[in-house]
Amino acid sequence: MKLRRSLPRPARYSGFGLLRHALGGAPWPPVWRRHDLRDRYDVVVIGGGVHGLATAYYLAANHGVNNVAVLERGYLGGGASGRNTAIIRSNYLTPEGVAFYHRSVRLYESLAADLNFNVMFSQRGHLTLAHTDSALRTMRWRAEVNKLQGVDSSLVGRSEIGSLVPHLDVSDRPRFPILGGLWHPPGGIVRHDAVVWGYARGADAAGVHLHQDTEVVGIDVTGGRVQGVRTNRGRIAAPAVVACTAGWASTVCDLAGVALPITTFPLQAAVTEPVRPFLDTVVVSGTRHVYVSQTDRGELVFGAAVDPFPSYSSRGSLEFTEGVAAHVLELMPALAPVRILRQWAGLCDMTPDFSPVMGPTPVEGFYVDVGWGTYGFKAGPVAGETMASLVATGKTPDLIAPFDLARFTDGRLVGERGAAAVGH
Amino acid sequence: MNHDVAVVGAGPAGLATAVTAARAGCRVALLDSAPRLGGQFWRHGASESSGREHQAWSVFAALRADLLDSEVDYTAAAAVWFVESTPDGFRLQVTGHPPVRARRLVVATGAYDRALPFPGWDLPGVVTPGAAQALLKGSGVAVGARVVVAGAGPFLLPVATGLLAAGARVAGVYEAGEPLRYARRPGAIALGKLAEAARYAATLARHRVPYRTGHAVVAAHGESAVSSVEVGRLDRHGAVVSGSRRSIGCDAVTVGYGFTPQLELPLALGCGTWLDVDGSLVLEVDVAGRTTVPGVYAAGEVTGVGGADLALTEGRLVGAVVALASGRRSPYPDSVLTRMLDRRASQRRFARLMHEVHAPPAGWPSWLDDSTLVCRCEEVPLARVRAAVTDLGATDARTVRGLCRTGMGWCQGRTCGYATAALTARLGGRALTAADLVAYARRPIAQPVPLAELAGPADQSGGKRYRPA
Repeated sequence: MKLRRSLPRPARYSGFGLLRHALGGAPWPPVWRRHDLRDRYDVVVIGGGVHGLATAYYLAANHGVNNVAVLERGYLGGGASGRNTAIIRSNYLTPEGVAFYHRSVRLYESLAADLNFNVMFSQRGHLTLAHTDSALRTMRWRAEVNKLQGVDSSLVGRSEIGSLVPHLDVSDRPRFPILGGLWHPPGGIVRHDAVVWGYARGADAAGVHLHQDTEVVGIDVTGGRVQGVRTNRGRIAAPAVVACTAGWASTVCDLAGVALPITTFPLQAAVTEPVRPFLDTVVVSGTRHVYVSQTDRGELVFGAAVDPFPSYSSRGSLEFTEGVAAHVLELMPALAPVRILRQWAGLCDMTPDFSPVMGPTPVEGFYVDVGWGTYGFKAGPVAGETMASLVATGKTPDLIAPFDLARFTDGRLVGERGAAAVGH
Repeated sequence: MNHDVAVVGAGPAGLATAVTAARAGCRVALLDSAPRLGGQFWRHGASESSGREHQAWSVFAALRADLLDSEVDYTAAAAVWFVESTPDGFRLQVTGHPPVRARRLVVATGAYDRALPFPGWDLPGVVTPGAAQALLKGSGVAVGARVVVAGAGPFLLPVATGLLAAGARVAGVYEAGEPLRYARRPGAIALGKLAEAARYAATLARHRVPYRTGHAVVAAHGESAVSSVEVGRLDRHGAVVSGSRRSIGCDAVTVGYGFTPQLELPLALGCGTWLDVDGSLVLEVDVAGRTTVPGVYAAGEVTGVGGADLALTEGRLVGAVVALASGRRSPYPDSVLTRMLDRRASQRRFARLMHEVHAPPAGWPSWLDDSTLVCRCEEVPLARVRAAVTDLGATDARTVRGLCRTGMGWCQGRTCGYATAALTARLGGRALTAADLVAYARRPIAQPVPLAELAGPADQSGGKRYRPA
């Protein structure tokens, strides 16, 4: 305790603080600090991405539990949190999903103020295109489910789409002409690094220890109860351990003897050279297997469905790039001369019903926040809030009760495929 | 058509490889991104007369004649932007042309200038020597009317004399290395090199161009473009000797510290690399030019920067090696091959000496201030790179890239990669490693490709072209 008080706390960012630093020339304190590993923490969170950091932050901020360690194998935000395409939305298909992601959008809306850190959330609107009658029918269904939950979401026709995104080819010329779309004004994009850094800064300020380059190599379980974890830096005793990993959830949970119905697939994305801003919505086409958004810096970000084969490879492939280019040009022919600069891949833990796995496990004290498929980033805040509540109080919040591990044995799947297969 | 070998790059190394392998009976595809043969070394304009100023132009003319005589399938303006291995060799994706398939691949993609950041290096008028030379050779344009030539390496000399020949004034040549150190190992220097150096020295003297060694351009100043540079004398650590800074008026400055081999294609195939004496990331090759990946060969600057003579020797050797590997007879008798191997070894020794003499000055980071841009595309200043290491805990170059976006803009790390990797290592208190440089050199899409190029299905002529339905 004495040690912690002697360390400088990250100062609150403000206009006054900015002026003081500008005039006084004093260096900014580190945004988060390094610590020695303690022998014991009240809670150990595995994974230093947005989910792990948010869980730790809300444990401290909402429940006063701050003897918490976040263990990250690489660097904070270096996994799926740094590889996703940062789309935020709540226009899902199931009532359970909609309510859950709706809360996340709400948290994102106030996140910059809550964390005193600009996360650059741009609610520019999210447009999902329908090219077939069946897609249109699913969208109508989604729009109704959304409205019942109080989510702004409606079906729009071709002419409206043409005025929302003038660069879209809404004619009959493409092989799959655009028939209509699902328009979701509160959806948008966020600066993913800023979300990670904001949570890390907030958690650190509240006393949480963030340990980078710290890999969990074992989870100790005795008598059906978790005792702690073993890391490359030593053993930690802890009565509660939360797995918040993406891409490696099955291997991490395997350390505790908890089997998950998860298959891991790579998901690729690509980015073009920056061009003048012209696209102020997120455009998704399930039929064409592609989505497009334009960053604040002018780059176009493309993504698609996950790769067709399970693997732990995070390399790009030519098939993906060629496919995504062809599909984008069918939607927006004017982009033909724009050049692709870079592509990358991340790992997605896919579950059978395209919904996450959250809650307690058969191992007492071992909690999971995994199975985030292609929709993990947008759920970061709500996942952190609910997992923190579960770990601190022992009661499962209603919002995540449908996503428990037991649903796969009880046959209570939350089928979200219709709204999460491509439009992540 | 399936070729025995695809040669990427039509500079000295690639041309020599292609001609040699074809003479032995190989079916060779030669691909180059430029509209004309010759690479950077023999870059020339549309008219034949534009080549007369070049070194060893007769060697080029002979190679070109051999090439046009041969069966080599040469494609100009064909940039290879993706490579993959297939069960029977390699498939190359080429801009504006159908994919090329070949059983073996020779990487002869050469190198580009290595830039080090300094305050003001983002001003218009600050260019690399290679850019100045490309403008001169390709278009007959001098980069400025009064030019300062600086950096390290013998390449500064032809740039300075080329500018003089084009009518520009050269305000000074500032070499960071100490060329007198060549004298320590006179045995490694060929007579031809001495004669060449003497010719350059005479030209500079005739035009009264000051030539200073142990000096560097450490800052550039100007409003909308460079109007002066600060030159300083370097101590043995590469830091500026206090009181030695002085200002020199100019409207352009070329600064470059050696070269960076262009390795996108071999890195995509998983070829092994190592850190050369000059700090460049280069391919690991055996004496026959074989990389660590079966079927992939390398010749010229990608195996270690050493100049056109060495590239020609390596090209001929690798040409013979791929011919033998393809089941053809060697185009050279064994005695000639042995002589070539000896020649290569002595040229490599000279290259090594050259790197020692002209190494980038270790103290270059001390020229920078907090606001100096390290990455120009993404406008990342030194302070942010430092914060990534000291405040955010990054230990490797890849993490720094993730944290502050160095190398993620237009150049994709080609310009800023070396500097960022070197800074990361230094801030972390360790030596630069090959892995640091790989983090900025690995680009599965080897160059920016238009969406239309990626999207188009092969049309009747075999070319890829996007056509809206």
